[in-house]
Amino acid sequence: MNENTSRKTKVSLEDLLRLKRAEQPPAEFWAEFDRGLRTKQLAAIVEPRPWWAPFIRVGTRLARYQLPVGAMAVLAVTLLTVREYRPTTFASMEQAGPAEIASLTAPTAQSGKALATDLINISLAPAMSTAVSESVPVSVAVESRSIQPALNQSTALGSSSHVAMVSSELSSARYMADSLAAAHATNPELNQLLGQSLPGNDGNAIRSEPLAQINVPGESRRSRFLGGTAWLASASTGSSALQPNEQATRHLTERRLSESDVISRIDMDGSRLTVKF
Amino acid sequence: MDAVKILGKTLVASPERQLEADSDVEVVKRVQNGDVAAFDQLVTKYRGRVYGVIYNLTSNREDAADLTQDAFIKSFQSINRFQGQSSFFTWLYRIAVNSTLTHLRKNRLRTFFSFEKINEDDKLSSEVIAALTVDTAADHETFARELQEKLNEAMQKLSIRHRTVITLFEIDGLGHQEIAEIMNCSVGTVRSRLHYAKQLLQSELQPYIRR
Repeated sequence: MNENTSRKTKVSLEDLLRLKRAEQPPAEFWAEFDRGLRTKQLAAIVEPRPWWAPFIRVGTRLARYQLPVGAMAVLAVTLLTVREYRPTTFASMEQAGPAEIASLTAPTAQSGKALATDLINISLAPAMSTAVSESVPVSVAVESRSIQPALNQSTALGSSSHVAMVSSELSSARYMADSLAAAHATNPELNQLLGQSLPGNDGNAIRSEPLAQINVPGESRRSRFLGGTAWLASASTGSSALQPNEQATRHLTERRLSESDVISRIDMDGSRLTVKF
Repeated sequence: MDAVKILGKTLVASPERQLEADSDVEVVKRVQNGDVAAFDQLVTKYRGRVYGVIYNLTSNREDAADLTQDAFIKSFQSINRFQGQSSFFTWLYRIAVNSTLTHLRKNRLRTFFSFEKINEDDKLSSEVIAALTVDTAADHETFARELQEKLNEAMQKLSIRHRTVITLFEIDGLGHQEIAEIMNCSVGTVRSRLHYAKQLLQSELQPYIRR
């Protein structure tokens, strides 16, 4: 009796929580529950499982490996990127033929730029192939003045500098092509002059120009200098001769060749074309 | 009899629970062999307990009913993957608790309570309510409703994990090991959570505790 009395007066937390056990639904609730469950069960049996359900199951099983697999994937991609970046660049440059490099430099033949683009292609293609294959600095006939120091530097820095050099050459060539095309389009006199200097004034005639076939660096430099000089001379005088001067070739020194800058001697201003010798 | 040695203590499953698990194995095998009607036995056997756990976690009778049905449907759909590594009861509880935890996390901001009525035929609850109202002139039914609200409020102040542990241990009467299996954590974690949850509840329900 005393035990029962003390039991009634003391209420612990556990007693209070056990009150929640007594929170039970009425009997009619279970009838409704069973009906709902039966409906859902039938729907689950009849309803076709989606085709991607097995993948979710597999994904759930592999969920524990997400972190290590993800980390490995990131690491692998990073390593591949670091490893493949430089070889890919050089391999593509070395494997690319002159025609491919030239096609990279020149845009597709457009009506206004066709002549200038052809000129650049002819001058760049052999020079590019020589520069890439022999790792020797090469001056291109249409290069700007800023290219020459970069070329000299590239010998010391190695082939990685060549890539930067070639890209700067390309941008200079493009700039020159654009300038010539603009001058060609806006200035009929220049058009006439160029037409006189280049017989036939078409791509085929230019492509047969012997300067484009030169591969030896020294000869290339020398011939380009003379070719550019002859071309400019013919442009100014109206002569159609394009053969290099043999006598002048012998007197050309390497220093003079390296200092030569044909482009800087051309000054196109409005309707005038000035060539400095 | 299964014996599990954890932290130097040997936990032994109760004979009742072991008997229950053995009888479930046969029924589960029948369901796995295509006897769909056999699954009804499992539903009838466990629906009250599963519903009770989910109800005490959600404090919402409608949600609890839906989640209980969903737990049974999920277990029915995946019963072929049940390999008997744990008892069917533990497996079913794990499905129910995980579904409920997912539901609670999704609807964290939506809290709507709907309570079941306290069964007046329950002897223990009657005694507790009588003890609490012995010094007051309050009506038993009114006091019981007020106490029920306070209890559910205090439960909802616990985090989901602490609420789960206190529900499974104090209300459903499961052991530490079983709770650890259901919640996929260690027994030590269960004990720790239980201790913390009790401390919080004690501070919340202090006016109703008589020593």
